[in-house]
Amino acid sequence: MLTIDNLHVSIEGKAILNGINLNVRAGEVHAIMGPNGSGKSTLSAAIAGNESYDVVKGDILFKGENIIELAPEERAHKGIFLSFQYPIEIPGITVTNFIKTSINSNLKARGESDMPANKMLKKIREKAALLEIDSKFLSRSLNEGFSGGEKKRNEIFQMAMLEPSLSILDETDSGLDIDALKIVANGVNKLKNKSNAIIVITHYQRLLDYIIPDYVHVLHEGKIVKSGGKELAHELEEKGYDWIK
Amino acid sequence: MQLTEKLISSFLAFELDIDIHSDIHNIRTNAIKKFEELGFPNKKLENWKYTSLNRIIKEDYTVFSKKKNVIDFKKVKDYFIDNIETHKLIFVDGFFDPFLSQTSHDGLDICIMSAALSKPKYAKIIEKYFNKSANLEDSLTCLNTAFSKEGAYVHIPKNTVLEKPIEIIHFATGNEAALMLQPRNLVVVEQGAEVEIIESHQSLTVNPIFTNSVTEIFAEKNANIDYYKIQNDVVTSSLVDNTYISQKRNSDVKVHTFSFGGKLTRNNLNFFQKDSSINSTMNGVTIIDYDQLVDHHTLVHHANPNCESHQDYKGIYSGKSTGVFNGKIIVDKIAQKTNAFQQNNNILLDNKSTINSKPQLEIFADDVKCSHGCTIGQLDQDALFYLRARGIPKKEAKALLTYAFANNVLESVKIPELKIRVKNIIAKKLGVSLGFDL
Amino acid sequence: MAYTEEELKKELETQEYEYGFVTEIDADTFSKGLSEDVVRAISKRKEEPNWMTEWRLEAYRSWKKMKEPEWSNVKYIKPDFQEISYYSAPKSKDKYESLDEVDPELLKTFEKLGISVNEQKKLAGVAVDIVVDSVSVATTFRETLSKKGIIFCSISEAIREYPDLVKKYIGSVIPRKDNFYSALNSAVFSDGSFCYIPKGVRCPMELSTYFRINQAGTGQFERTLVIADEGSYVSYLEGCTAPSRDENQLHAAVVELIALDNAEIKYSTVQNWYPGNKNGKGGVYNFVTKRGICHTNSKISWTQVETGSAVTWKYPSCILKGDNSIGEFYSIAVTNNYQQADTGTKMIHIGKNTKSTIISKGISAGKSQNSYRGLVQVNPRAENARNFSQCDSLLMGNKCGAHTFPYIEVKNNTAMVEHEASTSKIGEDQIFYCNQRGIDTEKAIALIVNGFSKEVLNNLPMEFAVEAQKLLEISLEGSVG
Repeated sequence: MLTIDNLHVSIEGKAILNGINLNVRAGEVHAIMGPNGSGKSTLSAAIAGNESYDVVKGDILFKGENIIELAPEERAHKGIFLSFQYPIEIPGITVTNFIKTSINSNLKARGESDMPANKMLKKIREKAALLEIDSKFLSRSLNEGFSGGEKKRNEIFQMAMLEPSLSILDETDSGLDIDALKIVANGVNKLKNKSNAIIVITHYQRLLDYIIPDYVHVLHEGKIVKSGGKELAHELEEKGYDWIK
Repeated sequence: MQLTEKLISSFLAFELDIDIHSDIHNIRTNAIKKFEELGFPNKKLENWKYTSLNRIIKEDYTVFSKKKNVIDFKKVKDYFIDNIETHKLIFVDGFFDPFLSQTSHDGLDICIMSAALSKPKYAKIIEKYFNKSANLEDSLTCLNTAFSKEGAYVHIPKNTVLEKPIEIIHFATGNEAALMLQPRNLVVVEQGAEVEIIESHQSLTVNPIFTNSVTEIFAEKNANIDYYKIQNDVVTSSLVDNTYISQKRNSDVKVHTFSFGGKLTRNNLNFFQKDSSINSTMNGVTIIDYDQLVDHHTLVHHANPNCESHQDYKGIYSGKSTGVFNGKIIVDKIAQKTNAFQQNNNILLDNKSTINSKPQLEIFADDVKCSHGCTIGQLDQDALFYLRARGIPKKEAKALLTYAFANNVLESVKIPELKIRVKNIIAKKLGVSLGFDL
Repeated sequence: MAYTEEELKKELETQEYEYGFVTEIDADTFSKGLSEDVVRAISKRKEEPNWMTEWRLEAYRSWKKMKEPEWSNVKYIKPDFQEISYYSAPKSKDKYESLDEVDPELLKTFEKLGISVNEQKKLAGVAVDIVVDSVSVATTFRETLSKKGIIFCSISEAIREYPDLVKKYIGSVIPRKDNFYSALNSAVFSDGSFCYIPKGVRCPMELSTYFRINQAGTGQFERTLVIADEGSYVSYLEGCTAPSRDENQLHAAVVELIALDNAEIKYSTVQNWYPGNKNGKGGVYNFVTKRGICHTNSKISWTQVETGSAVTWKYPSCILKGDNSIGEFYSIAVTNNYQQADTGTKMIHIGKNTKSTIISKGISAGKSQNSYRGLVQVNPRAENARNFSQCDSLLMGNKCGAHTFPYIEVKNNTAMVEHEASTSKIGEDQIFYCNQRGIDTEKAIALIVNGFSKEVLNNLPMEFAVEAQKLLEISLEGSVG
């Protein structure tokens, strides 16, 4: 589904990623771990197409198509979802209004007509229940005044609504207490199926107890220095990041 | 005779009396022409909508005192800041008083305008700075320029950090039945230099005094200036203070205005940011009573990127007093990343007091943070009750709350002795004997 | 506040909007120019009584002595008042007895405007008076309203049918000599809406007026008078459109509201006059005087969404004369390309315990200039007056300007006045977040702008709010990049 080939990315002239290679197939869960500053969030931003990040070299292929030149919304239309580490606040826009606009934009890009209101409503209900979100939450301004946990839950709620082929969860566990973490992980697991894929970016192994990865990659100084199965995460937790340096 | 006509007709006599340097003569001549054209400002002008000079200019002022008057230091000792060494520039009825002053030429110049305007050694600086930031379209500024002769001249050379503050006091003896004064000050602070200046105007009798002052301040690269204006004159004196500040890169200028006295006080405080990374600060506390009027007009012109300005004006009004705040922030198209903040908070203590506030923003750049806030209210009744329930009498409790309201502006005063002095004036003004050392 | 199912559904609905068409209708138009004779001719054409003719003439004579105001922050080529035709009516009969008599072309216009003139469409629940160019052409739901004693008709008809009410109130809130344009309007207004809600009556539906300038070379000078008698309530909507034309058209309206004791008037405007083209050519000059007077315990609430006009000059105001009266002003002003808006409000606190709220949202894009100008005045006897004002500006791009000129004058020490203003821009991170969710940049901006304007949009009646949102989006088209 996703093939990253020798990806080099820099910000304002400073090299952050120095040749990333990664292959993610449908039905797989990949975890990307690494110490602070290793380039984890840069990788997610580059896949999503944030224009503040310069792709200096390399390619990103999604479903066989090179997406390097695509705008962020075009990538989203193709089924790439990024759960933000720091979700953005948009005052005055309700969660419902935002998700409606998002879904209909995606449908339109695919040449389909808007989702009928009753269908949308049903889906919102269903997905809100999945993430134990009550309806009051849906009428609040997007991320404004949300607690850390609420913001993350809202991200996964949007993921559930948009049903992307590839979801990148950037530090989704940060700011969550254990109960919220379980709800979020449970939601993600329910959304997982044979035709989609998930990349979990995390500093700690904690989240991986709930979202079991098929592969674990360790990122250090902009390169994947080690790859392995889920046991690698436990090993890292025990030995610390110094072990891989 | 009308004051306007009197001033215009006195101009020739005025120049006959002094050394005429040709360049300065041209500046003065143009200025008097402009004043003749514009006259005194009236309420029809947007900038004078809330303040009328009519009751001030109707007096028959002597437009320049002919006689030098001498005053005894003992009589005026209280008007100097206690327990602190300062450079002193003292003027009496518009004339320099060498006995009360302490000038300095020790690697810098802290002296008088009359010398600077006439002696060749100052010619270069005068040519570069004199009347260069003053508004040539403002009638009162022009009037001052026309009669510019005496005042403070301060030139601090590169990287000089002045240890002692400069104290400038303009006394009026009241030997004239009514006197108009037009002090003209020039402050040039070169690259990396630092200076603190304290300015006040003090009349010694109740004879009407009308001071129309112009101060030009130039802060070169990395210069630091703290300018304190202590306005605590008797209630028969009026002051129009026109201050123009021109700043270069990385300079930091703060003007603190404490307005407690006077009949009518109008402050026109103008900041021009001539380069990037500049900081400009305007603080003010106004506490007035009776039929006093204090009018603050501020202008900050952000003409370059990455600059900041902060304004914080507090006003407390009793009796039939009137407060005016008109703050204008202009952000030019190229002044991206400007941070401009403006606060004006007011408390009305009596039902005859008035406040007119007009905080304005004119913004032409998009990547900026600009905000202003204005509040008008009363002292918090719950807080007042709380203090009284703890045994503090009403008057003292009110004074404490008033003090607390103005406190953050007072805290910006860096000279401890000056802070004590201002606190004492406030205590006296509020009729309490509190130290306010909270 | 949690959503009800209905609200959620409404929010999920969408609609389209487009107005730039000219309707081909024969019009009866006066030749250009203004004189006492023209004023008399207008009055005669409207079959007005003598007192009205004299009232107009006096206004005309005052106007002749007045100068056009210059103080606002707008620049424009002053209209040549002798180059305007002061009367243009769709040619047909003078009066319409029923909708069947209305010109079919005109009905098509209304359809394009989305106005239900068809009384069958009762679902809409809005009674409409429609003013094309200068003349009221149709008023709907009259019968339903008259059962409750509500008078809703054109002002010309009111002058003939209810002279006592008109005589008592016209010019009582905005005197003829109030300003240059109110004087001009008083002299030449050719129609407008009149509304009277009797004592204790709650008007069962939204009353609405649609204004349209259709004819080229005409000015529109309508006059609206709304009287809410003691204890009554009315919600009044006004919508404005004009076709795209190269020349500047003048619109100088006067709206007077009277809220008697315990009455409440809610007045909403969606103003979408032609703003001129991308290069600033053409567009309507919108110079409007709107003011309401509040008697004891009454309330007037102005809500406006201003997206159109080349130049807007408008300050809907409240005179809070009665004790405990309330004034509100909610405004969104959007300017794009070369548009200029100088708008705000005046809240004059005279009575005791009076309250006012001002929420103003200005959005500037393109090369436009957007100014808020407001006055909060607390008079010496206005004990316990309260005001809260908030003025926020959003700038898009670096060629526009956003300005705030609040005037606060307080002469009573029991007053509490609070004013806040801020200026911001749309964050790149906000746009990226929307992009990542598949929303393109233009749509993302519309979304963020809608969020910015929410507090004001919330004050519009539901069916208008949706239209207004769409309008914001259309107005800002092409403002990105």
